[in-house]
Amino acid sequence: MPLTRIEAVNLAELLRQFRELIQATDTGDPAMQRLVPDAYPDDPDAARQFRELTASELLEHRDADAQAVLASLGAPLTAPATDAEALEETALALSPEQVDAWLRALTALRLVLASRLHVESEDDHDPADPRFGVYEWLGYRLETLIELTD
Amino acid sequence: MGMTVLASPDIHEQEDLDTAIDSDRPWQTVVWNDPVNLMSYVVRVLQQYFGYPRDVATTLMLAVHHEGHAVVCEGPREQMELHAQAMHDYGLWATIRKAPQ
Repeated sequence: MPLTRIEAVNLAELLRQFRELIQATDTGDPAMQRLVPDAYPDDPDAARQFRELTASELLEHRDADAQAVLASLGAPLTAPATDAEALEETALALSPEQVDAWLRALTALRLVLASRLHVESEDDHDPADPRFGVYEWLGYRLETLIELTD
Repeated sequence: MGMTVLASPDIHEQEDLDTAIDSDRPWQTVVWNDPVNLMSYVVRVLQQYFGYPRDVATTLMLAVHHEGHAVVCEGPREQMELHAQAMHDYGLWATIRKAPQ
């Protein structure tokens, strides 16, 4: 998959922040609740038990996916010094396992951003908020990657 | 033949029947609609994890999208919990329930 240098740098920074978020394990954070969703909405006891059994493993997997993507990006990356450098494209050759890690990581980033942006429908968009640009770019990259591997 | 033959066993039989029906009802893994996950991604996950053919996965995805949710699997509770956890691992929102009567 071709990726420009500026995209790689931005994605690496998002994943760095994402890792901080999941390592903080703030269970009251709505974004964290979306990453470890309620499996028994009508049974609080069963829901709590299920969460206790699955939460740490799910978050470990999210961290491992983030690390796998960072590794395939060649992180740590230095910010491009010029526009030409920013738009320099690298062709990423990803193994099937790496593709799966990418898809899950991009999805998890979108879930967190959607939670922060209070996205409630597919048409939610605020052109004044640059985070929507990031959210939509992640969706575009996710779609591209799925098309490439279908 | 004693008189007990004519005593009404109906209530007990009915209870036994209810218990039998209840334990026969399978558990379900239900995937819910969310505004974030891409349709193509949901289809891919259902194909990859459950091994469903593309048309089955697409039908399930469309049910999630249009009806708000879809039962993606039925069976014993422990197995449905594993499937729900797997769906959470992919970022899909899944719940577990006893099949409605």
